Amino acid sequence: MKSLRFFVGVTLLGLASTAFAAQLGPGPANWTGDLQPIEAKDWSFDRAAHLLERAGFGGTPEEIATLAAVAPQRAVQTLVDYRSIDNSHLQPFDESGVWDDALDPFPVSRPATTDQAKGQGEALGVQLKPTGNRRMQPVVNRFFYWLRASRLETNRAAYWWANRMLATHRPLEEKMALFWHGHFATSEEKVRDYRKMLVQLDTFYKHGTGNFRDLVIAVAQDPAMLAFLDAGVNVKGAPNENFAREIMELFTMGVGHYSEKDIREAARAFTGWNYVNLKFVVNADKHDDSDKIVLGQRGPLDGVKVIEVILAQPVTAEFIAAKLYRYFVRDDISPELRSRLGAILRDNNYELKPLLATIFMSRDFYSAPSMGTHIKSPVELVVSTYKKLGLKEVPGVPDFNDVTAALGQQLFRPPTVAGWPQGRSWITPGLLIERGNFARDALFPDITFIPTDRYPVYLTGDEIRAVHEKISMGYDITSATKPVNMDAQGGEMAMSSMVDRDEDFNTRYASYRGWQMAVEKVKPIPRTFGHTDLTGMVEAEKLKNSGEVVDYFLARFLRVPIDDKRRQQLIAFLDRELGTNDIGRAHTYMEEPLRMLVHLILSMPEYQLG
Amino acid sequence: MTRSELQQLLARRRVLKGALGGICAHTAGVLGLPVFFGHAAQALAAMPAQNERILVVMELSGGNDGLNTLVPYADDAYYRHRPSIGIKANKLRKIDAHYGFSPGMAGFERLFKDGKLAVIHGAGYDQPSFSHFTSMAYWHTAAPNSGGEYGWVGRLADALQPSGAPNYLVNIDETQSLAVRSAKHTPVVFDDPEKFVRKGFFQQREVFDQAVETGAAQNASQDFLLHVARSAQDASTLVRQAWARYKTPVDYGIYPVDLKKVAALIDAGLPTRLYYVAYRHNAFDTHVHQADLHARQLTYVSDAVNGFMEDLKRIGRAQDVTLLIFSEFGRRVPENTSLGTDHGTANYMFLVGENVKGGHYGKPVSLTQLDAGDNLIHTCDFRRGYATAIEGWMGYAQSEKLLGGKFEAFPVFG
Repeated sequence: MKSLRFFVGVTLLGLASTAFAAQLGPGPANWTGDLQPIEAKDWSFDRAAHLLERAGFGGTPEEIATLAAVAPQRAVQTLVDYRSIDNSHLQPFDESGVWDDALDPFPVSRPATTDQAKGQGEALGVQLKPTGNRRMQPVVNRFFYWLRASRLETNRAAYWWANRMLATHRPLEEKMALFWHGHFATSEEKVRDYRKMLVQLDTFYKHGTGNFRDLVIAVAQDPAMLAFLDAGVNVKGAPNENFAREIMELFTMGVGHYSEKDIREAARAFTGWNYVNLKFVVNADKHDDSDKIVLGQRGPLDGVKVIEVILAQPVTAEFIAAKLYRYFVRDDISPELRSRLGAILRDNNYELKPLLATIFMSRDFYSAPSMGTHIKSPVELVVSTYKKLGLKEVPGVPDFNDVTAALGQQLFRPPTVAGWPQGRSWITPGLLIERGNFARDALFPDITFIPTDRYPVYLTGDEIRAVHEKISMGYDITSATKPVNMDAQGGEMAMSSMVDRDEDFNTRYASYRGWQMAVEKVKPIPRTFGHTDLTGMVEAEKLKNSGEVVDYFLARFLRVPIDDKRRQQLIAFLDRELGTNDIGRAHTYMEEPLRMLVHLILSMPEYQLG
Repeated sequence: MTRSELQQLLARRRVLKGALGGICAHTAGVLGLPVFFGHAAQALAAMPAQNERILVVMELSGGNDGLNTLVPYADDAYYRHRPSIGIKANKLRKIDAHYGFSPGMAGFERLFKDGKLAVIHGAGYDQPSFSHFTSMAYWHTAAPNSGGEYGWVGRLADALQPSGAPNYLVNIDETQSLAVRSAKHTPVVFDDPEKFVRKGFFQQREVFDQAVETGAAQNASQDFLLHVARSAQDASTLVRQAWARYKTPVDYGIYPVDLKKVAALIDAGLPTRLYYVAYRHNAFDTHVHQADLHARQLTYVSDAVNGFMEDLKRIGRAQDVTLLIFSEFGRRVPENTSLGTDHGTANYMFLVGENVKGGHYGKPVSLTQLDAGDNLIHTCDFRRGYATAIEGWMGYAQSEKLLGGKFEAFPVFG
């Protein structure tokens, strides 16, 4: 490392011990690939910071110091086996009350809803009007109400989860839930029911660091997963492969370890598996209980048995262990290491804690290729930034969901069943700039912020606002719902803008009313601002000059050092903004310059590394 | 505040954002607008002549059902395999005595009849994969059953511009596609052009504007980040300005599939020659209740492509642009029991543009001679479609260097 100041900065944080100072940074080259545990003498503030960064969402200097003050074995144990740690300060999710039982079962599409209404005279608990124009309008309004309400409530659920990540005393519980969410990926976009997403999250909490077998079975029977992978249409005589394929390809073994025939046979084993409201059910009359052959095993296999067969394959433990390794350590895993990690999982009968403890205690974990090389995912970035800023709750401005979506990872909405592509995929020129802009928004409140849980900004938001305006002014529905971007001369109207002219109902109007009905019911997200107090940090540390301040914040936020040239630039910047080098002289007005400084630091490419 | 006051305020905000807030900068960009953060002047100086050819690749993610896109209605086998979801002949937009487009695809029908749409039949590859991720990776790398480190569009960029140039490749997406991964170029990847600008205080400008030094990284991840940061510096202002200036009366329909953004950049005269956009997130993976959803999405694509072509004519660049459309596989010939279709094999590739000689290319697939899984047997390797674009349009004659073998181009460009 080029910069001595970096070392000085760290020792300012209260670690006078030369023993610690001597062991900063990664271990020697032969630690790479070595799963042997580190010893107490190998422990340091920097390595404790690294552990907290990976097993959790990073920490404040005080939190890291607490971890550094105990032996590494104990530190890892408290992180991995957290069951006895009190977490009762966390509150359960505060429901808005948007659901009612008449919404169940929810039809697969708007056409399915209107077909049902035509056939039965009602759908979703709403009846057709006996006479008049647009007799089905109320039914379609209700359809869109639920889509909007579930989406908005999901956004609130994401806030609830993010707050747990920030405030939990069990960081690994949340980090693993996030991992499983990306692994057993389902999206509310298709599931269309926030309740199922919360049930699934609960499953991840329950089994996340328990036994992988129990977890797979629980997930295979989880209503969100069953809905997402079309389990309901997987029936005897008409097996649907989606479920079976994803279980093998994505959740357990990976491509190349099964045949198309295995998938078709396994699909039959899962027939009849479905859900009613939030409960898993097996419809025996729809279940194909005849003989099947999956991965060489023959018999009247059902879904659970197929999972057992899959878990008995040697590749399964390796696949999962390797994926966990890439999530917690680094992308680059040798076939040999993969095999060894798989053996650990397998030899422990798929119990996850021994594998996790081994990884976090290993020399490999503290080797150079593993430290400061992980590109933080958007959720990791946002939560860890708030943590390091010393915030206790996730601010309402900027909007957590808007930020994470813009950065590419919105909770409860992975883009596909494969979850999120990790690592370098998080970084593009556009996204790098966005990450810096997030830091700015976190430090400098946007006083022109418009809450998107009250204001329709989504894909067809323009249309909704236009409809609202015109309806309020007394236009008829047909005129009110004409598309906005038709120019006055009557430019060629795209086909897609013409399709919803149905005399039974008007889709655009339903979309608008659905939004309105949802917003009426869904509780607003409190638009609090983060109470960052950088002045307080500087004063608590008794920092004297710009150099010490810059070093303090570099150490607080970055996990890799930067070159001295940029460090000098930052010091010069702070001097200019403060009008002095002397912190004591500037302390009455330094909050704004400090925030500008921290924004510069958080915009650095190096800040993306954890 | 009243409703109309709020509306006015929002409108003003949009205009302000568009004009970069009227901040006076020390470097006014070549486009006459103030520069905020960035290296616009240097990047613009590197711009070649305005009339170089541009290729836009559009990916339909999820495995688009080709058979229900351009329907072989004259073939009874189609209706035998799809008694429920087969589209009736009288609903189709017929283009000749054998084929008709899905009901909402007025744009494609018009383009075909104007001779601007080339349809390549039966594109696929041997031992097809039914995995989205795997098959798409093969198409991205043009290396079926093998895969590769770089994408075919990335390799094309390296071949056309071996020294590497900023802003040569643009990929509009949340994350970089493997297709554009290049050895020599850092693709410009962004999603929302309005967000592709660094927000910051005037006082911070000096620090932000320091050119990122890509030399001395401590690890590979850091090295990667520094290169991307540099690319961001080079590109963001250009993209931002291009988008702010761009205004069009052309209707692209409900979902433009990012083609408006492409048009904006072309209009602004960016040096980009290769664009990559996608209808994302496996949207075309229609396993269940396919009919309405698929028809709707095809309508969006048709409107977007048609709008894009109209817009290019309006800005006088229609001669310079060709669009290639593909999907990672087609779908199984017989419908499934959920009124949808499962993963399949061969599919159409479409080429659209002023210089395209419209019509049918290649050999139509057989709906009676199917493989053991009831899937289409491809009649040409998809790399022939790539070779057509590489040789016939971009003028790089030795496509075999990029495709790992000689694949004969179709005479789409004469």
